[in-house]
Amino acid sequence: MTGNPLTTINEQLLKSIGVGIAILRWSDLTVYYHNAAFADWFGDPRKPGALSEAIEAIRESASTALRETGRFTGEVEVKPRRRTLVISVSLHLAEVEGEKMIVAECQNITRMRELEQMIDSYSKMVERNTRQLEREKERVEKLLLNLMPRKVYEEFKTFGVVTPQLYRNVSVLMLDFVGFTDFTEQNDPTVTLGELNDIFTAFDRISEQFGVERIKTIGDAYMAVAGMPDETPDHASAVANCAVRFLRFLERRNQSHRFKWEARIGIGSGAAVGSVVGVQKYVYDVFGPAVNMAARLEVFAHPMKIVAPVEMKYDLIDGFQVEEIGAYDIKGLGSMELINVEGNLSLARSF
Amino acid sequence: MSSTFQKYGGFGAVSRVVLTFYEMILDSDIVGHHFDNIDMARLMDHQTKFVSALMGGPSAMTDDRLAHVHHAIDISVAEFDEVVRLLSEAMREHGMDDRDIREVTREFEARRGFILRPGVQ
Repeated sequence: MTGNPLTTINEQLLKSIGVGIAILRWSDLTVYYHNAAFADWFGDPRKPGALSEAIEAIRESASTALRETGRFTGEVEVKPRRRTLVISVSLHLAEVEGEKMIVAECQNITRMRELEQMIDSYSKMVERNTRQLEREKERVEKLLLNLMPRKVYEEFKTFGVVTPQLYRNVSVLMLDFVGFTDFTEQNDPTVTLGELNDIFTAFDRISEQFGVERIKTIGDAYMAVAGMPDETPDHASAVANCAVRFLRFLERRNQSHRFKWEARIGIGSGAAVGSVVGVQKYVYDVFGPAVNMAARLEVFAHPMKIVAPVEMKYDLIDGFQVEEIGAYDIKGLGSMELINVEGNLSLARSF
Repeated sequence: MSSTFQKYGGFGAVSRVVLTFYEMILDSDIVGHHFDNIDMARLMDHQTKFVSALMGGPSAMTDDRLAHVHHAIDISVAEFDEVVRLLSEAMREHGMDDRDIREVTREFEARRGFILRPGVQ
C-alpha cells in the first residue's frame, strides 16, 4: 500500500478522517488494515484480544447477515477511557486478491446518543410540568365553577368577560338560620364553620338534584336560583322542591345532632340579572326584583316555613301544599298576597 | 423575573452546557473516577435535570433526590469545589455572563449539604 503517491495520499486521508476503518480477513478475523480513529476507539488491533469484546457483541448477528446479504449494520459500546462510546458499525464483504475480506466502517455516534438521552430526560421533565399545569388548571376551573355556573364560566374562559344578562323568568330562594348570631357568639368558630359546611354541602347536593344553582352564601344566608343561566319552565317548582327538602333535611338532622337548626325561607319570582362582578376579585352575582322579593319574604317567614308570593301558587299547587296566608305589607315591595309552601305529604315521606 | 434558563434560550442552552460539563467531569483527574461505572444514560438524565434546575428551568430535581443519588458516594470538599468550577467553566465556554454564572453557582453551592457526605461541609 505504499510507494505510489496516490496510495500515500489515500492512506493519509484514511488516517485523518473521523470514520474508523478496518479490513479484516473473513476466515480468522485478523485485522489486515486499520486507521487511527479505529484504534482510538477499539485499541490497537495488533494487541491480542483488543477487539474481542466488540466482536463478541455482534459476532452472531453480523456473521449471519454477512453470509446472507454481504452487509451488516449495528452498534457496539466501547469504553476506551471513562466515557462510554457508542460506535455504529457497518460491515460489508469484499474480495482482495482472491481472499474474502470484511470492510468495517465505524462512526462515533456517542454524541447523538447522549443528545437523544438528554432530549428524553428533558421531554419527561416538560411532560411532568405539563401534567402539573393541567392539574393546576383543573383546580382553578373547579374553584371558578364554585363561583359561577358552568355556562357563565365557559363564556368567561372564552371571552375573558361575562356579559350581564337579564333573565325574565327566574325563581330565587333565600334561606337564613334562626339565632345564628347568638350561636356564633356562644360557640367556637370552628364549630360554627363545621355546622355551616355540613348543612350547606347537603343543600348544594339537593340544589344540584333539582337543577338549581347555588349563587352564594353570606354568613348563614344561602341563596339559590332556578331559570338561569339556562331557562327552565319549571323554575318555581325547582326552588320550591329545594326549599321543602332543605327544611326536611334540617328536621332530620336535628333529631340526631347536638345543635338544632331552624331556618326561614323566602321564595321570589320574576326577573333577575346575572353577571360577574369585579375585576380582580370577581364573583358571579344575581340581582333584581326576584332576588329582592326572596330576601324580603325570607325575613318575613316564620321559622321552618317557606313563604312565596301568591303569583307562584299556580305553578306550585300540583306538587306542593300551598296555603294562602293573606296580604301583608312587605318592606320595599308594598302590600303583597302571600302563600306558605309545604311539601306534598307523600313526597315528603319519600325524602 | 425571567430565569437564566429562559434568558439563554431554554433547553438549547442547557443541552450545550450539559454536554460540555459531562465531558469535563469525565475527563477530570479530580472527580472523574466517581463516574467510572456510571451508566451514560443515567448520568446524562441526572445532569440535564440538575443543570436545568440550577438555571431555573423546568426540573424535577428535588433536594431529597439529590441527597439520595449522592448518599453512597464519598465526596470531598475539594471534589465538590472542582465540580462547581467545571460547571462554571462549561457555562463560560458557552457565552454566559459572569453574573449569571455566579447566580447558578450560588444555587449549586446552596445544595452542598445534600451532595457532600454528612459531616463534610
